[in-house]
Amino acid sequence: MDVFMSLKSKNSRQQDSKNVLPDLIIPTLALIFTIYYLTTITEAPWIAQASAIVVGSILILLIVIFFAKTFFMVRKEKEVVSFTNLNLDKTTTIKRLILLILTLCFTVFLEILGFTLSAIIFLFFAIILLSSLKNWKNALIISLSCSLMGYFIFIYIFNTQFPRGVFENFIERIQDGK
Amino acid sequence: MENDLEIFFSLINNTLEYWWVIIPATILGIVVGAIPGFSAANTIIVLLPLTLSMGPEAGMIFMVAIYTSSRLGAGIPAVLVNIPGTAGAAATPLDGYPMSKRGEGQKALSISFTSSVLGGLLTTILALILIPWLSQVAYYLHSVEMIVIMLFGISLIATISSQDTLKGLIAGLFGLMIGYIGADVVYEIPRGTFGFLELYDKVPLVPALVGLFAISEAFVVIDRKMVTIQSQEKNIVHSWQQTFNGIKITLIRWKHVIWTSILGLIIGVIPGAGAAIASFVAYQQSKNFSKTPELYGTGHPEGLIAPESSNNGVTSGTLIPLLIIGVPGGATAAIMAVVLEYHGVQFGPDIFETNPMLGYGPFVAMGITYIILGFLIMPLTRYFSNVLLIPTKYIAPLIIVFTLVGSFVPRAYVFDIYVAIVFGIIGYIARKTGYHVAAILIGVILGPMLENFFLRALRISQGDLTTLFSSSLGNTLWILLIISLFVPSLKKYFSKQK
Repeated sequence: MDVFMSLKSKNSRQQDSKNVLPDLIIPTLALIFTIYYLTTITEAPWIAQASAIVVGSILILLIVIFFAKTFFMVRKEKEVVSFTNLNLDKTTTIKRLILLILTLCFTVFLEILGFTLSAIIFLFFAIILLSSLKNWKNALIISLSCSLMGYFIFIYIFNTQFPRGVFENFIERIQDGK
Repeated sequence: MENDLEIFFSLINNTLEYWWVIIPATILGIVVGAIPGFSAANTIIVLLPLTLSMGPEAGMIFMVAIYTSSRLGAGIPAVLVNIPGTAGAAATPLDGYPMSKRGEGQKALSISFTSSVLGGLLTTILALILIPWLSQVAYYLHSVEMIVIMLFGISLIATISSQDTLKGLIAGLFGLMIGYIGADVVYEIPRGTFGFLELYDKVPLVPALVGLFAISEAFVVIDRKMVTIQSQEKNIVHSWQQTFNGIKITLIRWKHVIWTSILGLIIGVIPGAGAAIASFVAYQQSKNFSKTPELYGTGHPEGLIAPESSNNGVTSGTLIPLLIIGVPGGATAAIMAVVLEYHGVQFGPDIFETNPMLGYGPFVAMGITYIILGFLIMPLTRYFSNVLLIPTKYIAPLIIVFTLVGSFVPRAYVFDIYVAIVFGIIGYIARKTGYHVAAILIGVILGPMLENFFLRALRISQGDLTTLFSSSLGNTLWILLIISLFVPSLKKYFSKQK
């Protein structure tokens, strides 16, 4: 009974306490980057190093304080070593990761295919992904209409510096009458 | 005096020439402001390719018009469906929504719009009058004072906008370190570039902005199904009488509009203390000074006037430190800074002499937008009952496509799109773990400026760091900075003691 009670109280304590690992990601990145940055200025004269050394040292000090504070909170069991703050439920995480991969593919295609075609492809697959593989007709209509509208407004009317590819060059050739 | 009036009228004339920018931006601003979660900042980022392709004057007017009108549009869902369009309208539903529930939605909207337009217009005129004097202050600021002011700005953003001061400071200083990336301006030594030539000319600001705000937002928003929900039509009783009553109620309380909007203007000048803080402070102060505080929260007009006129007062306030000393007062001002920097605009007191269209122009454009809004929005109070449904499955991919391409536009490097994605990942983690993305971005913007002032100060003092404590104005600012850092902890301590 005692064991059961202690387990129960531990569980409720864990539910009340905050998960700590996600909070450490940004300070860890900041720490790694600051140390890396400071190693790249060792050759520079003092005047050029000063601002980075001052700001970097304050940042490192703050990060150390933050780590120490977190360590004591974990010891007091007010915080738990876990990643659940990031809302890592399985389906959304997988969707988010696939969306990130699609975004990277979009960037690669942008260089090869230009804005319009890569936008159509990305929007179609991203909408399908986020609507749980349903509504492919809606996905097709929205991806086509929005990409063509984007082409019309940003490239055709305003001549903005958007990445150009097969489609844009083809339209340009038609316009020039070649 | 006569000369000043001449300049003022020529500014109005010049700004009116951009009617083709102001009118669509105003309409767009109202619509995006009314969509919860889709702020003016996000809209400006999505439309960056367009803004960057315009000249700096047209681009600035476009951004100001969107910013101003979205502040007003944010009150619509706050009043009708109890969901603030932006954080700045967070105090609006406290008395706006109870009015809607009583069937006085149209009257509540009319009060909200009238107090917003009057408050915004008044503070814009005040800002225009005060700026010539305020800009003189900047001439007394040398490298040392500027270093302290920039660190002060970062610390204020950290202490005011973040829930945890330590996290806010880490975010701001991390941003500063990222801002230091690139070749040294004097000795041309590459620092923190990871070997990428594309980073020699410092971190490109547009991709940083796109990543931290838009890409991270797109990845956060997919947790939700919809960006907004449908309004409750049953809460609205359509009648023009309600609109006129709303205008009358607000005009009777003109003193209330004046002091709450001035409060908003003052809060807006402080970096980091945005519209959300202003609206709550104004609401609380209005309640404290009211003869009928018990009516607050039950649909009391004064409880609606206070947050709306103060959050519109913030709009002109945030632009003042940006234009005078180059320190953005908030997220939208930071985005404006990025766009103007792309056009090679130098901030500082001289901007009011050398380019009045960029110095005073934004305030004139703001005033004109408020006047247009006054005429445009009142007749529409009747028709605002239906807020559109926007599923996130469409909006998230669209944000990604248009903002990522926007990050390509300034330099035409595909590398910049990858930079935006990296910042997007950092921004996503920051949002999910309570680090303020605006603090990171403002750090990235201020980094190179801070370094230049550091270099200048140290070259004059031949490398002596104690020069940072050599001026009395600077020392006063240092003391204020340290006090501001400890205020939140002291407040927490005393509230625990109580």
